[in-house]
Amino acid sequence: MDVNDVFGTIDIAVSGMRAQGKNMEVISSNVANVRSTDAGKGEPYRRLEAVLKAETDGISSVTVADIAKDMGNFNSIYDPGNPQADENGYVAMPNVNLPIEIMNLNIATRTYQANVAILKRYQQMVETTLELLR
Amino acid sequence: MVNLNANVSSIVPSADKATLQVGKTITERADFTKAAKAIGQFISEVDDIQHSSDMSIKDLLTGKNNDIASVVSAVAKADMSFKLLVGVRNKLIEAYKQTVNMQL
Repeated sequence: MDVNDVFGTIDIAVSGMRAQGKNMEVISSNVANVRSTDAGKGEPYRRLEAVLKAETDGISSVTVADIAKDMGNFNSIYDPGNPQADENGYVAMPNVNLPIEIMNLNIATRTYQANVAILKRYQQMVETTLELLR
Repeated sequence: MVNLNANVSSIVPSADKATLQVGKTITERADFTKAAKAIGQFISEVDDIQHSSDMSIKDLLTGKNNDIASVVSAVAKADMSFKLLVGVRNKLIEAYKQTVNMQL
């Protein structure tokens, strides 16, 4: 990607906004499915994580390279009355940890805001430069 | 994407040509038409950017596209290049007025 012109900063900041937006989508999926015991493959929902990647070496915009599954162990809770409980009375629950998700959400929100701040500041800077024409 | 590179040497008649060769008005006129052509090209490029930002807003409102980030980027680019165009236009008109009001 050619970023060697005045619109480079805009493209990079917008790519950051887009990536963090996708990140928030992933987090919202994790939070919504925190108690989903069935994800269609006979096992509970697996936590997802967005993998961000710099597009090129050096000055570069960011993309979401992959939405990876967290292969960590499922949580199991003791609930003998549950129809999905095994012979010992345990139910496998998704490996989503709510406090961690909220923490990631905070990071994503702040990063998004930082990208918007850069975009705004850059626009102001260009306007200041154009004032020299007057 | 419009190239807002500040390198205007290609459209501005070079200084030594203007000062040393008084008789060569034909080449200087050719340089001026070059400058006018460059400005016309710049205007059409800015128009293209305006048009694409317009289209992206329309696509967002009609639900064809729901990526707000791309709309923001298109509008920011259109805004920026239009402001540059207005700045250049104001400068040109100012230069014209100064030339017209010149005491002979």
